[in-house]
Amino acid sequence: MRHNTFMDIMDKLQILADAAKYDVACTSSGNNRAATRGALGNAVSCGICHSFTADGRCISLLKILLTNKCIYDCQYCGNRRSTDIPRAEFTPEEVAELTLRFYQRNYIEGLFLSSAIIRSPDYTMELLINALKIVRETYRFNGYIHVKTIPGADAALIRQAGLLADRVSVNIELPSQASLEKFAPEKTKQNILAPMRTVREGIIQSKNELALYRHARYEPKFAPAGQSTQLIVGASPESDSKIVTLAEGLYDKFKLKRVFYSAYIPVGGGNLPTTEPPLLREHRLYQADWLLRVYGFAASELFSHADENLSLEMDPKCHWAVNNLNLFPVEVNKADFLTLLRVPGIGKLSAEKIVAARRIHKIDFDGLKKMRVVLKRAKYFITCDGRTYEKFPYAPEIIAPRLKDNTLQSGYTQLALPW
Amino acid sequence: MVNQENPSKNPQKKRGQGDESPCRELETASPRSSSFDAKIVQKEIAVTFDGTFDGFLCVVYSVYYDKIIPLSVQVDGREQLSIGLEVRFIDTDVEKAARVYTGIRKKISEDAAHYVYSAFLAEDEARFLAILKYIQLGFKVGHMVNSHLQEDFVRQVHKLAKYVQREAHLLLGFCRFAETSQKVYYCHVTPKSDVLPLLAIHFCERLMNQQWVIHDKVRNKAAIYDGNSYVIASVPAGDANITYAEGEKETQELWVTFFKTLAIDARKNYKLQRQLLPLYFRKNMTEFQ
Repeated sequence: MRHNTFMDIMDKLQILADAAKYDVACTSSGNNRAATRGALGNAVSCGICHSFTADGRCISLLKILLTNKCIYDCQYCGNRRSTDIPRAEFTPEEVAELTLRFYQRNYIEGLFLSSAIIRSPDYTMELLINALKIVRETYRFNGYIHVKTIPGADAALIRQAGLLADRVSVNIELPSQASLEKFAPEKTKQNILAPMRTVREGIIQSKNELALYRHARYEPKFAPAGQSTQLIVGASPESDSKIVTLAEGLYDKFKLKRVFYSAYIPVGGGNLPTTEPPLLREHRLYQADWLLRVYGFAASELFSHADENLSLEMDPKCHWAVNNLNLFPVEVNKADFLTLLRVPGIGKLSAEKIVAARRIHKIDFDGLKKMRVVLKRAKYFITCDGRTYEKFPYAPEIIAPRLKDNTLQSGYTQLALPW
Repeated sequence: MVNQENPSKNPQKKRGQGDESPCRELETASPRSSSFDAKIVQKEIAVTFDGTFDGFLCVVYSVYYDKIIPLSVQVDGREQLSIGLEVRFIDTDVEKAARVYTGIRKKISEDAAHYVYSAFLAEDEARFLAILKYIQLGFKVGHMVNSHLQEDFVRQVHKLAKYVQREAHLLLGFCRFAETSQKVYYCHVTPKSDVLPLLAIHFCERLMNQQWVIHDKVRNKAAIYDGNSYVIASVPAGDANITYAEGEKETQELWVTFFKTLAIDARKNYKLQRQLLPLYFRKNMTEFQ
């Protein structure tokens, strides 16, 4: 890179990284790929975070747009055609060069390539595929690649992209057809879900092929790290219940690896609410998401009839437990793994430790503490060998206030003595 | 954090551990304690070794084959005085070490071997006895050893291993290489545990086709990879004298720009950033200079 081109690249990087940063997905997990001589890099399934920005989000991929020259006019997006921002476009060689330079210095785990829609969805998708081909084949980059597919692009193109990338994703952004019509007039539910279906079919097909040709030396694997999507929270009026149910459907039907939630941040005006980003609501949605994926909850369990939204005061697991006190307390020395998982304060690791340890030794509250179970929450819902931790009336109105998130209260109140 | 806080926080507990329980446990744990050579008097002594992992495995070997009961295990030259106790230095023998290690893998489990090695890399003064007891329990109960969470030393080994693994994992992401004028990629780290071997294994795969050096400035050693294999060698203390390649500065500037651009102002959360990327890593990272 000579000097003039250096400044040029610097400008482009600034514009196109800035344009890509509202996409929250930054995982580099889900696939193991060994390194090979002559090619650069490998992929490790646990994923590796390489840095953390001032807002506490991880950087693991070089997250950029190929271009931000968009023909669409989605209201929630800062790159829409009606905003007045600098526009730029990377060449595939520039993308490859940056990826390699950053990767060799261990700045990143791979590339996350997305794009604004330029000319047409198909044309944009072709540009993305071309860029990936150059990165993968000409520059022989063997690290992690996450590529966005463009809503409305041809299925054949999406299949091609899936063969070059580890993870493929298409963003739903707005959780209902009505909101899409209102705020993203060029997009429809159909042309967002169609690529998802194509990717899903591609993954199934590639798995079947692997089973057939188990001894084949090399079989191109289609999107081995699966697919993900993103939903914007707070831009449109959908309730949490609707969002979580949608996520559940995506996990069940499309076998998505992750659904990401992004608190809406007003970018570049538009006719959307200009409030503070609902960060706490986003946090609660992530907690609910983990309950779906890891803890075996169903979306319908998390919402009582009265409430369409998750409680902001209490995490969704506590909320569920308080509303289902009839299922508690559970005996830690006897309850099965899935029951233990449902106890607030007992996570996946603690549940595993409990199940392992009680084969050897009866567990008491002291033992639980040493296993790093959060007794502050768990004590209301468990017994150890028939005993509860302390005496307290077993009623939701007593327990609920004690489980509220103290960190949310601003400042401390003075201790009031009862006499 | 663990290796500094632990001993000072609980001095009482540590003394207690050294005093009573181990000898009795060692006797019962020793596989031949009541067999043909029961005549050999078991000896309570203080043990020192050269500080290497192989050396430590030889201490384990001696416990079983020389019938010693170590009341303390320490690195030679750094041991504390113990009054009235014989101090014995255990020689390092690679073959014996390999035998013990294979024994741990086969008779206990691969997991246990992993825990033992990882916990060893934590530079906690009190770790040797805990690991020793863990191994002894392991030889008694086999792969179930990791379920014996009621034992303090099992939990301690787990905790240390997790601490080391966590630091190593974070460093896999936080290591920053810079290209030198000799086309070697140089990286310096200041880890709290001795994670250099774990980093080297990862980067042999990751950066297979380039030459690199990872310099541990705390322990004055470096992993050096020539494009085929790596060695860990000791290096002189202090900063390495390095001239960087042409264009290196520009690449770093690009990265810093990218890093800064990515933060969203409306979401600023420095507390979260500090939690996920503790300050002590930052002095070696390009984007925080």
